[in-house]
Amino acid sequence: MSETQETGGCTIPPEAHAVLEEIENRQKRFKRNTTIALLSLTAFIFFLFYVIKLDFMFMGKWVGFILTGMGFTLLVSFLAISLACILSILGALGRLSKNPIANSIATAYVSLIRGTPLLVQVYMWYLALPQLGKALEDIGIPGIQNALTLPAIPAGILALGVCYGAYMTETVRAGIQSITIGQREAAKALGMTESQAMRRIIFPQALRIIIPPISNEFIAMIKDSSLVSLMGVWELSYRAIKIGRRYFQSLEMLIMVAFIYWLMCVVLQYVQEKIEAHMARGDRRVH
Amino acid sequence: MNDKKTMVKIENLHKVFGKDSHVLRGIDLDVKAGEVVVILGPSGSGKSTLLRCINFLETPTAGTITVDGLTVNAGKATKEEETKILQIRKKTGMCFQSFNLFPHMTAIENVIEGPVTVLGQAKSECIPYAEELLDWVGLSDKRDVHPSRLSGGQQQRVAIARSLAMKPDVMLFDEPTSALDPELVGEVVEVMERLADEGMTILAVTHEMHFARDVAHRVLIMDGGDWIEQGPPEEIFTNPREQRSKQFLAHILN
Ligand SMILES: Nc1ncnc2c1ncn2[C@@H]1O[C@H](COP(=O)(O)OP(=O)(O)OP(=O)(O)O)[C@@H](O)[C@H]1O
Ligand SMILES: [Mg+2]
Repeated sequence: MSETQETGGCTIPPEAHAVLEEIENRQKRFKRNTTIALLSLTAFIFFLFYVIKLDFMFMGKWVGFILTGMGFTLLVSFLAISLACILSILGALGRLSKNPIANSIATAYVSLIRGTPLLVQVYMWYLALPQLGKALEDIGIPGIQNALTLPAIPAGILALGVCYGAYMTETVRAGIQSITIGQREAAKALGMTESQAMRRIIFPQALRIIIPPISNEFIAMIKDSSLVSLMGVWELSYRAIKIGRRYFQSLEMLIMVAFIYWLMCVVLQYVQEKIEAHMARGDRRVH
Repeated sequence: MNDKKTMVKIENLHKVFGKDSHVLRGIDLDVKAGEVVVILGPSGSGKSTLLRCINFLETPTAGTITVDGLTVNAGKATKEEETKILQIRKKTGMCFQSFNLFPHMTAIENVIEGPVTVLGQAKSECIPYAEELLDWVGLSDKRDVHPSRLSGGQQQRVAIARSLAMKPDVMLFDEPTSALDPELVGEVVEVMERLADEGMTILAVTHEMHFARDVAHRVLIMDGGDWIEQGPPEEIFTNPREQRSKQFLAHILN
């Protein structure tokens, strides 16, 4: 690497090369040591598994059954996060709206949902909604009880989506508000309407800022989706707990299911990084 | 100039911020097509507010604004007035002190954004003109570069091209060079000069004395929310009548 480069008639002095080399070596050493540390940690964990006599045969036997539950987990998470994204955009627009009705609905939504436990909300959708339906049917709205009696999976998707939508509303609102007033003014000066400015100028910039926190929410969602097991859906964690209890080998099952969740989150994190890199085009810092 | 039609007409313009911050106090002003007007005045005298009322970035409290025959009365928030405001904004370009380029778009994307989104033109249709404009401001080679990688002077020139892409009848400049390093001021002023040469109607707030002296047809001195004196630059700079103008000019000319 150390042949001298001509840069506009001026050569990089030899002592500078030594410095550059030292910086490169330091980076290499850091990478190598991190890898060693990670490998040692993994080895240590497997050693622990060995000491506590973890039954890998048993795990192997049931892994297929447990993985079948992953379908539910992913289905619930993806639909719920999609719902949450839509709700959070509407919520943020409402929170920023000068229309008193839209504004108060959005504010009440965020306050109410953030102020109650997700567990209670899940049961609300699943158990309490049918009762509301019955009451409404009694005062003369035919068919409403059936419509409001939701099967477990739709109830779970609604509960998670509505709940995360409220948290994400605040994230989206903060993202939109972080875009400087000058951007909106430049858009207006060109003749854009409010909604054109939002769609073309403000929101695309806000999106860049809110992708990391939204990804966090998604990762949290994957894990919170295990709450649908409360309603008897045979998703990942429910299966693991059932089998573990039945054979008194909960440790194996829980370690396995934890590992599966972790892998899913690692994949998501990878996707997040890819999206972020894509969004950061034109940002001086990453080039 | 007198035979030309009036491009911008401001009548009895008032702007009150909050309840009692009376920033513009009954301004009357006529700007003819092709005229270059430079607005000078101490900080806080209302120069920016005046420009921003012309394209309704600020809502005037009272008075009327007419741009190219379109008249909007202050205080009437009807749908019809709102449509007129949007039309006035299409006819007026504005350049800001802080450029305000769209950072998520390349130079060329910034330039076509107005025609595509506001005028509904197809991208392919407006790219040739946008390229011509970038060339005109001397930035063809920065076509696909994002604003964060441009110098301040380059950003301001892209911002000028972005405004010109809407084929405006009037250009408003609010201190376009005051955020720039001294050595970058020249390239922006040069573009403004060429714009003036091509007959653009310009209202500019700027402290570039060379532009005011050699390019402007008229210089307006503001203080306390109204202009106190106006006239051709040679008159204003050599022989101001008002005491306050004298003080102000003595202050900035040193
Ligand atoms: N949005 C606002 N809300 C309240 N007051 C404002 C607002 N914008 C401007 N003002 C006030 O109006 C007055 C005139 O402001 P303006 O920006 O028009 O002055 P200016 O002549 O452009 O000054 P400068 O040379 O510093 O840019 C100032 O006293 C300012 O504080
Ligand atoms: Mg100003």
